[in-house]
Amino acid sequence: MRKLLARRLLQMVLIMLTVSALLFAIFDSDQFRRRIAVAELGGFGVATLSERDYHAWMAKKGLDKPFPVRYLGWLVRIAHGDLGVSLEKDVAVSTLLGESLEHTAVLGLFVFVFMVPIALALGMLAGVLEGSVLDRVISVFSIATTSIPQIATAVLLTVILALGLNWVPSKSAMLEGWSFRELILPLMTLLLYEVGYLVRMTRAAMTEVMAAPYIRTAILKGLPMGRVILKHAVRNALIVPVTLICLSLNGLLSQVVVVEVFFQYSGFGRMLLDAANFGDIEVLQAATLVAVCVAVLSQLLSDVAYVMLNPRLRLA
Amino acid sequence: MSRLAVSPPRGTFAMLVALTWGPLAGFVMLAPALGGATRYALLPAIPAVAALYFLTVARCRRSRIAVIGMSLICFWLLIAVSVPFMHLLDPDKPIAPLALPGTVKHGVFFLLGSDLRGRDMLSRTLWGSQRILVWGITSTATAYLVGAALGLIGGYMGGWWDEAVSFLGNVLMSFPVMVLLILILNLLGQSAFNIIIAVTCSSAPLIMRIVRGLSLDAKSRGYIQAAETRGEHPLYIMLVELLPNVRRPLIIDACLRLGYTTVAITTLTFLGLGLQPPDPDWGLMIKEAATAALLWKYSYMLIIPALSVSSLILGFNLLADGLNDLELRA
Amino acid sequence: MIDRRTFLRLGALLGGSTSGTRFLEAMTRIQPAAAGAGAAAVPAAGTAPAAGTLPFPPVDPDARRGGTLRAGQMVGRMEDPATYSWNEMSNQTRPILEYLTMVGPDNVLRPMLMDWWKPSSDLKTWTLHVREGVMWHNGEELSAEQVAWNIRRWTDPTLGSSNLGLATFAALTELTDEAGGKRVQRPLTNGVEVLDTHTLRLNLGKPVLSVPEDFAEYPTHIAHPSFRAPLSKHPLGTGPYTLAQLRVGERCILKRVTRTTDGREFRYWGGDVYLDEIHFYHFEQENQTAALASGSVDATYELPIEELELAQSIPGAQISSVESAQTLCCRMQVDVKPFDDIRVRRALILAADNGAIGSLVFGQYGSAAANYHVAPVHPEYFPLDPIARDVREARRLLSEAGHENGIDLTITVGNNDGPWQQSACEVLRDQVKEAGIRLAVNVVPATKYWEIWKSAPFAATSWSHRPLGTMALSQGYRTGASWNETHFSDAAFDRALAEAEAILDVAARRLKMREVERILRDACVMVQPFWRPVFILASSKVHGYRPHPARQMQLTKAWMS
Repeated sequence: MRKLLARRLLQMVLIMLTVSALLFAIFDSDQFRRRIAVAELGGFGVATLSERDYHAWMAKKGLDKPFPVRYLGWLVRIAHGDLGVSLEKDVAVSTLLGESLEHTAVLGLFVFVFMVPIALALGMLAGVLEGSVLDRVISVFSIATTSIPQIATAVLLTVILALGLNWVPSKSAMLEGWSFRELILPLMTLLLYEVGYLVRMTRAAMTEVMAAPYIRTAILKGLPMGRVILKHAVRNALIVPVTLICLSLNGLLSQVVVVEVFFQYSGFGRMLLDAANFGDIEVLQAATLVAVCVAVLSQLLSDVAYVMLNPRLRLA
Repeated sequence: MSRLAVSPPRGTFAMLVALTWGPLAGFVMLAPALGGATRYALLPAIPAVAALYFLTVARCRRSRIAVIGMSLICFWLLIAVSVPFMHLLDPDKPIAPLALPGTVKHGVFFLLGSDLRGRDMLSRTLWGSQRILVWGITSTATAYLVGAALGLIGGYMGGWWDEAVSFLGNVLMSFPVMVLLILILNLLGQSAFNIIIAVTCSSAPLIMRIVRGLSLDAKSRGYIQAAETRGEHPLYIMLVELLPNVRRPLIIDACLRLGYTTVAITTLTFLGLGLQPPDPDWGLMIKEAATAALLWKYSYMLIIPALSVSSLILGFNLLADGLNDLELRA
Repeated sequence: MIDRRTFLRLGALLGGSTSGTRFLEAMTRIQPAAAGAGAAAVPAAGTAPAAGTLPFPPVDPDARRGGTLRAGQMVGRMEDPATYSWNEMSNQTRPILEYLTMVGPDNVLRPMLMDWWKPSSDLKTWTLHVREGVMWHNGEELSAEQVAWNIRRWTDPTLGSSNLGLATFAALTELTDEAGGKRVQRPLTNGVEVLDTHTLRLNLGKPVLSVPEDFAEYPTHIAHPSFRAPLSKHPLGTGPYTLAQLRVGERCILKRVTRTTDGREFRYWGGDVYLDEIHFYHFEQENQTAALASGSVDATYELPIEELELAQSIPGAQISSVESAQTLCCRMQVDVKPFDDIRVRRALILAADNGAIGSLVFGQYGSAAANYHVAPVHPEYFPLDPIARDVREARRLLSEAGHENGIDLTITVGNNDGPWQQSACEVLRDQVKEAGIRLAVNVVPATKYWEIWKSAPFAATSWSHRPLGTMALSQGYRTGASWNETHFSDAAFDRALAEAEAILDVAARRLKMREVERILRDACVMVQPFWRPVFILASSKVHGYRPHPARQMQLTKAWMS
C-alpha cells in the first residue's frame, strides 16, 4: 500500500514537471506573445506599434527573457508559494485560482451529494430486480442520459425549465450574490449525465454479484432477501461504483467546463478557457497543475478504495 | 450469433465501412477546394450504407437494441452521403431571420425554421451531419491507429519501448480530458484537422493501454511462440498474428468511443475551439442559438441541433450495448 | 420642417451661434473669443457655472433622482487612461475622469473641461481656456497647470500612449537624432505653455485642425497630477462618480461622490446628477442581449445588427440607433497586381452597388457611402454626385485591361467588429459576379487579421468613427501615413488635404473637401459601401443613454424611472 502511494506520488511530481515545462516552452513562442499584445493593446494598436516600442512593452511585462530563465524563475516562485499574477486580469493567480476552485467545488459538492445516493440506489434496485419493468425503465433512462452530451442537456433543461416554465433563472452569473436557485440548472445538467453512467455500472456490478454462487446459497439457506442484499450483495457490488465515484472527480473537472460556459458560472472551467484563449500563461500553468493533481489524486483514491474494498486484494 | 444463409466473405464489413467513409471524408475535406462536382464521388457510398445496414442488422438480429442503434447511425449516414443531391436551401445563405418552423417568411418556406442570421435550419442540420460524422469517425480511427500501434509496440516489444510508451500514456491520461483538449487546440489553432490531433492525444492512451494489455496476454499464446520460432519479423507478428485476435473487444469499444468523440467534438465546437463558422456544424448551431435563447418561441434553434446530436450518440451507445449483449450471450 | 439633428448640424456648419435655445449657444464648434457668445461672465470658483455653457443635453425636469444603472459590457482593467486600448475601459472611467471636450451623439463637438479655444490663423498656436469652478474629488480647483501636466505626460514617448498617434500630440513632438544614428521622438521644449491659472497655449510643430476633437478621443482623460498607475487604486477625478470596486472580467461599481476627500460638500461643475450608482457587469458581446432580456442588466454596450429583430421581441426594451462614420473599407493595394491597373479597380467599383450592400446588411438603417471615406455626419462633408452601378462598363474595362474572361480575386476579412463584415463581403461577391469578377471571401480569425491587415492585397478593414472627415483621410490615405493600407500616394491629394486641414471655417473647408473627395474617389482605391449604424439596447426605464457613433457611454446625465 505504502509503496503504491509513494510510487504514484513520485509519478505525479514527474508528470507535473514535464507538463509545466512543455506548456511554458510552447507558450513562450512569438505567436503567443503577439496574441497577448493584441488582446491587451488592441489590433490597431499592435499593428502600428514600432518594433522598439513592442520590445519595450514586452520587457515591461517580463516577456522578453529566454525560456529557461523564465521557467526556472517560475519554479523558484512556486516553491515559495507564489503562483504569479494573471496577465489578463491583473490579479494574483492564487486568488483567482482559489475563488474559481471554490465555486466549482461548491457545484461539485452538490453534484456528489445528490449523485451518490440516487445513482447507487437506482443501480442496486435495477440490479436486484433484474428483468422487471422497473429495471427496464431505469436502464433506458440511464442509456438515454449518457447519450445526451452535457451541452444538449443544458440546452433542453434551459428551454423547458427556464424559458418555458420559468421556474428557474436561465443563467448563473450570480450577479446579486450567491443563490441556490441559479445553481439548479448547472447542477441538473451535471447530475443527469453522471447519474446515468453510474447507474449503469452499479446495475452491472449488482447483477453480477446477485448471480454469484454465495448469494444463491444465502437465499437457499432461507435468509430473508433484505438481509442477503444488505449484508452480502451490497458490500461486494460497491467495489466498482466506489472506484468510479473517485474517478468521477476527474471527470467533473472536464464536464464542468462546458456547463460553466453555457450558464456563465464563474468557476474553474471558465477560468481555464479564458486563460487559454488569452494566452495567460501564469494562470494556465497553475490551472493545469491543479487539474493534473486532481486527476492523479482521484486515480490514486480509486486505486486505494479498490484495494480496501476488495477483500481478496486486501488480504493478498 | 445468428448466421446468414450465406456468410459474407471476410473483410466485407471493413470494405463497406471504407466505401462509406472514404468518399464522405473526401467530400468534406476536399469539396471546398475542388468544387461541387466532387459530390458524384458520394454515389457509391449510398448503396454502401444500405448494404452496411442490412448486413449488420442481419448479424445482430437477436439484439433489438443493436438494431435500433444501427438504424439511428445509418439514418444519419444516409443523410450525410446523400445531402448534396437533395434540393435544399443553401445552408450558408442568410434569407430571413428568426422564421418559426413551418412558416413562410420573405416568400420562403422553412420546415424547421431559420436561425438568428436567417439561414435555413433544415439544410444546416442535414449538412451538419456530414461534418460531425466525418470528423468523428476520422478522429476515432486515427486514435485507434496510433493507440493500437503504440500498444502493440509496448506490449510485444517490452523493455524500454514499454516504459517510454507507458510514460507517455500516463502523462496524457493525467489530464482531465477537456483540459487536455482545450490546451492542445489552443496551441495548435482551431481547425477541424487539429481536432483530429487533439482527440487522438486524448483517446489514444486508453486504447494503447487496452491493446497493450491484450497483447501482453496474447504474447504467451501458442501461435505467437510458433511464429517466433519460425523466425518471423516482429512487425509481421504484430500485424498478422496478434492484431486480428485482439479485434473483437475493440469493435465494441470503438462504438462507444465514437459516441464519446462526437460529444467531445460538439462540445469543443460549442466552446469555439473546433470548426469555425460558417461551417454548418451542430455544436456551432447550438453556440449561435444560445445568444438567441431568450424566449420560448425561439427555442427551436436550440432543440433541433441538440436532439440531432443526441440521437446520433444514442445510436452509437445502443449499438455498443447491443453488441456487448450479443457477446455475453454467445 | 427640418429635424433637430439637421438643425444642430447646420448650426455647427455655419460656425457661429444660431438663434434658438441657450443650449445651442454652447453647441457651436468654434467660439472665437471676439464673438463672446458663449464666454459668459466668469463665475467664482466653487459656484455653479452659468446655464447654457454645459455640453450636456437638456434633461427632463421630471427626472427621478436616485437608483442604479446596470450596464452590460466587457469589464476591462483601469490602469492608466493614457494607455487605454479598449473603448470599454473608457466607459468605466468616463464618469470619474473627464475630458477637455466632448463629442455628443450627434457628432457635434462641445466644450467640457475647457470652455473656449482660439487658434492662430496658421493653426499652429492654440490658446485653450480651462473652465472655471471645476472641482476635483479632493476639493482642489482644476487649473491650466494640471491640464498641461496631462498633455506633457501624453507626449512622453516612454509612456507608450496611443495619444501620440493623434495629430495634436504628434505635433507637440519632434524627431531628433540621438547618438548612434537613431531618430527618436521627443516632446517639444516649449510645446505646452501655461499663461495663467486657467489659460494655456499649445505651440505646435505643424498646423493642426483637429485640436479640440483630439481632446475628445477616449484615452485623453484628464487626471490629477498626483496620479500613479493603476487608476483603480487612486481614482481621483473631476467627474461626479468615483470607483467603489473593480474586478476585471467581472464587475465595475461606480458610486456618486457627495463629499470631497477632506469632508466638504462636492459640487459637480456640470449641474445635477441623478443616478446614485453605475454598475458595469461583464458580459461578452454575444451574451449581452440575453442578459438584458433576463433582467440582469438595464443597458448594453452594443446591439449587433443580427440581433435587432430578436431584441425587438423583448418586452420592455427600447432600441435606438444613430448614424456614424464607422465603415468597412474593402481596400485594394494599388501597387500590387492586378490592382495596379486602375481599370481593374474601377471595374470592381462599378460592378458593386454600394446602396444595395448597405440595405442588405443593415436593412433600412445605415446609409450608403461612396468610396471616399467622408460621411454625412462629418461637418465638412461635401456630397459628390453619386456614381451609378454600371456592369457593362465594368466588363469593358476588364477586357481592356486584359481580362476578357473575367478575373479571380480573393478578399480577406477578419470579422473583428462582427459578422456584418463578412456579410458585406458576401453581398459584394454576389454583385460583382455579374461583371465576371469571381470573388472568393477568405474569412480569417480576428487575431490573425491584425497580422496581415497591411500586407493583404485585397482586404476588408473596419474603420471606427472619427468626428472630422479629415482625420480618417489623414491617417489612412496620405502618402506614407501609418495606417495607409492601400499604399495610395498622390501628391495632388496630399496637397489638397493639407490645404483643407488649414481651413478653420467649416463652410470654406467643405468646398475644399470637394476636391479632396473627388481625387480619392476617382483613384478607385476601395469599395467603401456604407456607413454603419450604431444600435444600443436598453430597458424602457433608462433615460438619457443615447447611442454614440464612437460607442461611448455618456452616462453623466442618465436617470432611471
